[in-house]
Amino acid sequence: MKLPVSDSRSYAAFFRFRELGEHVVVTSLEGEWVVLRRDEFSAFANGKVEPGSDLDVRLQARNLVREHFDVRRAAETMARRRRFVHGGPNLHLVVVTLRCNETCVYCHASRADLDAVHTDMTPEIADATVDMILRTTSPHVTIEFQGGEPLVAFPIVERIVERAVEKNRSAGKQLEFTMVSNLALMDEDKLRWLLGHRVQICTSIDGAKSLHDKQRVLPMASSWDTATKWIARINAAYAEAGLDPTLYHVEALLTTTRETLSRWREVVDTYVELGCRALFLRPVDPFGFAEKTRRVVEYPRAEYLAFYRHALDYIIEKNRAGVEILERYAAIFLTKILTGDDPNFLDIRSPGGAGIGQLAYNFDGKVFSSDEGRMLAAAGDPTFLLGDVRSSSYREIVGHPTIRAMAIASNLDGQPDCIDCTYVPYCGTQPEHNHKTLGTMMGRMRESSMCAVHKGIQDILFEKLATADNETLEILRRWTTIRPREHFLQP
Amino acid sequence: MSESLFGMPPANVDADIAEGRVALTVDTSLHSLDAIYAAAYAFIGRCYVLLERPAPERVRVVLAPKPSGADGDALRALIGEFANELLSATWRREITRSNRALIEAVTMQAFAGALGSPSLDDLEAFQFGDEPFEDPLGIAQSWEEKYRKKPRTPEEPTE
Repeated sequence: MKLPVSDSRSYAAFFRFRELGEHVVVTSLEGEWVVLRRDEFSAFANGKVEPGSDLDVRLQARNLVREHFDVRRAAETMARRRRFVHGGPNLHLVVVTLRCNETCVYCHASRADLDAVHTDMTPEIADATVDMILRTTSPHVTIEFQGGEPLVAFPIVERIVERAVEKNRSAGKQLEFTMVSNLALMDEDKLRWLLGHRVQICTSIDGAKSLHDKQRVLPMASSWDTATKWIARINAAYAEAGLDPTLYHVEALLTTTRETLSRWREVVDTYVELGCRALFLRPVDPFGFAEKTRRVVEYPRAEYLAFYRHALDYIIEKNRAGVEILERYAAIFLTKILTGDDPNFLDIRSPGGAGIGQLAYNFDGKVFSSDEGRMLAAAGDPTFLLGDVRSSSYREIVGHPTIRAMAIASNLDGQPDCIDCTYVPYCGTQPEHNHKTLGTMMGRMRESSMCAVHKGIQDILFEKLATADNETLEILRRWTTIRPREHFLQP
Repeated sequence: MSESLFGMPPANVDADIAEGRVALTVDTSLHSLDAIYAAAYAFIGRCYVLLERPAPERVRVVLAPKPSGADGDALRALIGEFANELLSATWRREITRSNRALIEAVTMQAFAGALGSPSLDDLEAFQFGDEPFEDPLGIAQSWEEKYRKKPRTPEEPTE
């Protein structure tokens, strides 16, 4: 389809732009992109591009020239980027207990002491939770066990896995299980059972031993020593089972506190030494800790972005030296930027995943939009409570008015600032975060710390795409390759 | 006693620091009542919110923080945040109007994908005896119902 050209300024098709140093990032409506020099951008915006020139060819290739605008291609790309909207909830977080054997500086609302047995999920609620989960419309179901510490309520984990596998014989979902554990209560019997039932095991590592032990306190022992001992044991067990160690190994989650910021090199080295292939440099989130704690662990987002830049550069340096480890934020955004696909990371998509992509099930049967919604309720704000597995139907939960409001609030096509942002095709917002930090589910992006992080990281990535050498670009491209871990799918 | 707050135009913003309240006078030719309500509602968790009509085309929004004792800096931050939220609500309303078709299409697809078809249990639970849904445009009415000549009521004046 050709659109009429009325004057020299009509050269460009619809575009958004953002200045980055000597360069200007230009994105199209559907998320095609190009990084231009300032003189090139001026020619583009003013319709002064020489027909047939190298710049003209590059811009046409990115569907940014009005006269050659390919409507069908744009529509197909937009549909591909939002393919997830047809899917339904695929991630189901189950809090089997609030009891935890560790005390972490950033965690209050998510834990209870070990004698708080009333925070264990009952067998009846566990059964109703499985039944609710398998009613999802999504053909892919991941059940993620969280806590508290799930190993404290291991019989409930076993019950849920066994019931889900049995019920799934008729439901026919592509089913997998993940458990997030501090590993301190792991033993050989539990490990054998988890491996036998193909439950993927993840843990938390906050950095080197001194930082990890300081932030995650395990009475009478080192939380670091126990976690790293079991990481090595589990990785060995995967290898003994004949699984490819580059694909099958324990992944760890980092919580970036104020103290982490200056220790980026140490964090990266630690993850590499532990055999991790991914590092997710997540900033601490605002849920579930007290104001006093916030002052200790929180930090301005500009300081976080400086930390991120240092750590990312060091990770790339490691890759250039032959170590394969990726940064998860970068991998999510680069997949969207470089491949046109969406990895369906539920907090960075539009509309967001609350309710329509994920649900969180509390030990007491209450269902929430997400784990963040559950943590807000634990702190006294039940805004994101959707129902109860014992009394609500699946359609009542997913069709809840709160979920409808969240889907609209997290659709960036209706969000001031986002609609003009160069990065809108790749971005997302989280209504729970907006509600907590800015007082409304929509939030105000100029004041949003989440927006600052997303925008800052994409600035860094586009700088790399504009200036990096071929080896670095190849490393960044490699991070967008997703190798499925089929062993963890239930047969 | 009415006082001005640093950096805030006194014609729009006034505060009574001793009483712990602050007010913004909004020009309704700039901000619609819908936007004013939306922004005001976002503050009811933290403040008592009062709306006044001091003059035609003006709405005065008074915020009184629930825990009393807010000082001038706290009141300034509060009314500044309200002004930002009001601008955001006004602009969001315009954007939503412009992008309504796209937002509705994506939202409908997302819910169709997540809800799926109703099951027999869902249909069984449906209350067919419930009050009919609102239909102000008469879309669910037949042509005859909608356009038939209505009988005159006795008290209707005739010309």
